[in-house]
Amino acid sequence: MSHKTFRGGVHPDGHKDLSKDCPIEEFLPKGELVFPVNQHIGKPAKPVVKKGDPVLAGQLIAEADGFVSANIICSCSGKVKAIEERHTVNGGRATCIVVENDGLFTLAPGVGTERDDTSMSGPQILDAIKAAGIVGLGGAGFPTHVKLAPRNPEQIDYVIANGSECEPYITCDDQLMRSRSDGIVEGMRLVLRLFPNANGVIAIEDNKPEAIAAMTKACASDSNISVLEVKAKYPEGGERNLIGVVTGRQLRFGQLPADLGCVVCNVSSLNAIYRAVCKSEPLMSRLFTVSGDAVVKPHTMEVRIGTSCRELLEAAGGIKPECIAKKILCGGPMMGIAMSTLDVPIAKNNNALTVLAQDEVELAEEQMTACLRCGRCGHVCPIGLVPQMMAEAAERKDYERYEKKLYGLDCIACGSCTYICPAKRPLMQLFKQTKGAIMAAKRK
Amino acid sequence: MNEKLLNMSSSPHIRHRLTTGAVMTDVALALLPATVFGIYRYGIHAFLILLISVASAVATEFLYDRAAKKPMTIKDGSAVVTGLLLGLSLSPTVPLYLPCLGSVFAILFVKCFFGGLGKNFMNPALTGRCFLLISFGSAMTNFSVDGMSSATPLAALRAGEAVSLSQTAFGYTTGVIGGSAIALLIGGIFLLITGGITFEIPAAFVAAFAVFMGLFGGQGFDPNYLLIHICGGGVLMGAFFMATDPVTSPVTSRGQLLYGALTGILAGLFRVYGSSADSVSYAIIIANMVVPFIDKISVPKPLGYRSTSGKPQFPKAAINLTIITLCAGLALSSVYFLTKDKIDEQKLAANAASYKEVCPDAETFVTDDAINAKVEALGGDIYDEKFGKTYINSVMVGKDAADTTVGYVISVSSGDGYDGTITLSVGLDTEGTVLGISFTELHETAGMGMLCGEDAFRSQFAGVNTDAFTLNKAGGSTADNEIDSVSGASTSSGAVVNAVNTALAFYASSIQ
Repeated sequence: MSHKTFRGGVHPDGHKDLSKDCPIEEFLPKGELVFPVNQHIGKPAKPVVKKGDPVLAGQLIAEADGFVSANIICSCSGKVKAIEERHTVNGGRATCIVVENDGLFTLAPGVGTERDDTSMSGPQILDAIKAAGIVGLGGAGFPTHVKLAPRNPEQIDYVIANGSECEPYITCDDQLMRSRSDGIVEGMRLVLRLFPNANGVIAIEDNKPEAIAAMTKACASDSNISVLEVKAKYPEGGERNLIGVVTGRQLRFGQLPADLGCVVCNVSSLNAIYRAVCKSEPLMSRLFTVSGDAVVKPHTMEVRIGTSCRELLEAAGGIKPECIAKKILCGGPMMGIAMSTLDVPIAKNNNALTVLAQDEVELAEEQMTACLRCGRCGHVCPIGLVPQMMAEAAERKDYERYEKKLYGLDCIACGSCTYICPAKRPLMQLFKQTKGAIMAAKRK
Repeated sequence: MNEKLLNMSSSPHIRHRLTTGAVMTDVALALLPATVFGIYRYGIHAFLILLISVASAVATEFLYDRAAKKPMTIKDGSAVVTGLLLGLSLSPTVPLYLPCLGSVFAILFVKCFFGGLGKNFMNPALTGRCFLLISFGSAMTNFSVDGMSSATPLAALRAGEAVSLSQTAFGYTTGVIGGSAIALLIGGIFLLITGGITFEIPAAFVAAFAVFMGLFGGQGFDPNYLLIHICGGGVLMGAFFMATDPVTSPVTSRGQLLYGALTGILAGLFRVYGSSADSVSYAIIIANMVVPFIDKISVPKPLGYRSTSGKPQFPKAAINLTIITLCAGLALSSVYFLTKDKIDEQKLAANAASYKEVCPDAETFVTDDAINAKVEALGGDIYDEKFGKTYINSVMVGKDAADTTVGYVISVSSGDGYDGTITLSVGLDTEGTVLGISFTELHETAGMGMLCGEDAFRSQFAGVNTDAFTLNKAGGSTADNEIDSVSGASTSSGAVVNAVNTALAFYASSIQ
């Protein structure tokens, strides 16, 4: 039986078996924890602690600055060592609050106390989410309290929980759905209370039967929440594609899901909402997969935000001595960022560390040839663009055609075209540059 | 672990296993069944043709890259595929310099001069083939096996003869080296399964071609007739291997459907109304030229802009293309009709020359209504079982300057050649004495070279007045009406003798 899906897409090897059945361990970092102030889309948070201040786990250390921004919560106890510029996972530099970890993880007062959510109003729920510093944990990092407060709450008729997890190697959402399905459904119930006319749909790829079973069981008593099996294909979890698959609605460049009556939340975000609202636990930790064929012990851990990637890789046994690690990625191989150093902290929206060995990156290093015009890029584009023509236009710097005739700005940078191209042309990279150039020209 | 060795690059960090080289290898693999069958059927000469065409294609690209100081591109494998495709689309009898010339033309003029792989706008292999067709027409269209030529299945079909579908499908007929429809189909299916090609072009091509042949081929949708047309004349080679060349076909799915349909219609048009032996090659090359336009009109609406009403909008592109096809069709048919008289004139002149050869005393050749009626009364059926499958085609009466009848020229065909039809003209004087014989139809003449171009065989008939000739397989004939068989070709010799005897019998019964 074939499940609902979109037109296009690719089928990279999943490699999910490496980590999907290993028990989830809680990992407590030993070294310092580092909190960049820009772990979300929007304005960086404003530090509210200074060097030398003692801090506790669950304490606010930087507060949201402006509407689209998010709080930063300390995930350990100790002392603020420095507030300084440091490298972040995405290769840039940002102001970071560095906390000397005392290893005790003493909780701040009130953190972890059960809260009766039934009496809470919508705005109170949003406030709790905002206070907990929750952002889109699937990768985008959009502040969740902003996403859940659209102009038209009564017009929202779909709340989509994104449990598709289409990136190869990563299994943290899968394992979360299997082990904490009640938390996710509880999070969904809370979100649905904000949108009186909405139904909840939990979309899961059909390669995760256990997660589907667990989630189906967890939401069995809710008439307005259902599980939708979608086909395992990359990028099934992309927002525009997922909305199309679930609702048949078509999001275009420049539109927000709320414009089409949809709200999309990652399952991890829903679980975080549940913990923030019902348990008074702000966002201090998350599930995180360390995987890759070059890793000794690939598995998923519950890790503290701010933990150094080096510690996490060591926790997974490091790199196999017989392997030559060619790339260490923050995220999965399709959209992850290649890291130049391991001495960077993981942020809220990071979900995995993937170490690729030589044989996996070999094809990516294959010599580029001339474009064959074979059109495979167009066949796999999940948006239905024609990358071959876009590349021609981009190379000619014919931005007019790129934008108007070829809808080039609608590219979601999923990399499917680059993945499939037999000539190994860097298509998506070119599109990112071109989009940047066009947007820069528009701003002028 | 030395982190300095880590590679930095933009995502995606993994790629599909398919590379340009792998795409080309897949195509070459898919051509293997047809290649093996061609070599098995046609022997060492076919092998040499393929070898030379591939080698000269690769060598040309190598030398060009060297001379032009460009990066070496031969290892992408596209030159191998071009050479192989060209070789497979040649007759197994061509002299060995033809594949070499064709490959050099294909690679140098069609590909390299346009900027190399991905930049050419016409399929190099096909253009090379068309170049050879135009420059070396007779050698290119001389299809023979073991020195014995016969009509290709399509020529035979056109002449109104029965053609075996199974023989055509397997490739046990005359034609190009890569002529086995079954072998090509196996390769095509392999490519479809491995993702080397997508279904759009071959499906649209074959479907449009079949519909066109059904509508305009004159035999309706007779499955046997349609299948022979699909299996013969390079339709499958074109649909699976030539039209699908990614460089010269449209990029989008919709564009590919349009292009496939256009190619199929053009191939049908040329086959039914065209005068060239080759319809598919020209159809594809002309469709290649339309590709930039098809690309332009076939950009699909992406997600976010598609019609949400559920029913697909009638694609404007399809209308545009239909109009283009109609215009192209009209233009081509007008060329055909404008040149038709001229062609007929030339045909008449050519016929007159051949009549003159076998009836030299006549100044002009005319038809005689009484004799024509008798020819028509035969209804195109086998004349007499005792001569095998022979047919009387036509009879011309030779007149001298004073308008006196000096002889007759009877055109007669035999379907008992080694592997097809033999058509010849028999000249008789008014006494019934054979003046000479001459082989007519163009595709026959050259092929008969070995056997009948030699006067030694042909001249045995001249000057003999007899009721019937007999074939002497052993040779060393003494009687006038005994014909020495060409050694090693007794089947064809017998067919010729039977054909001449048919003419004599017809003369005796209907003219004398």
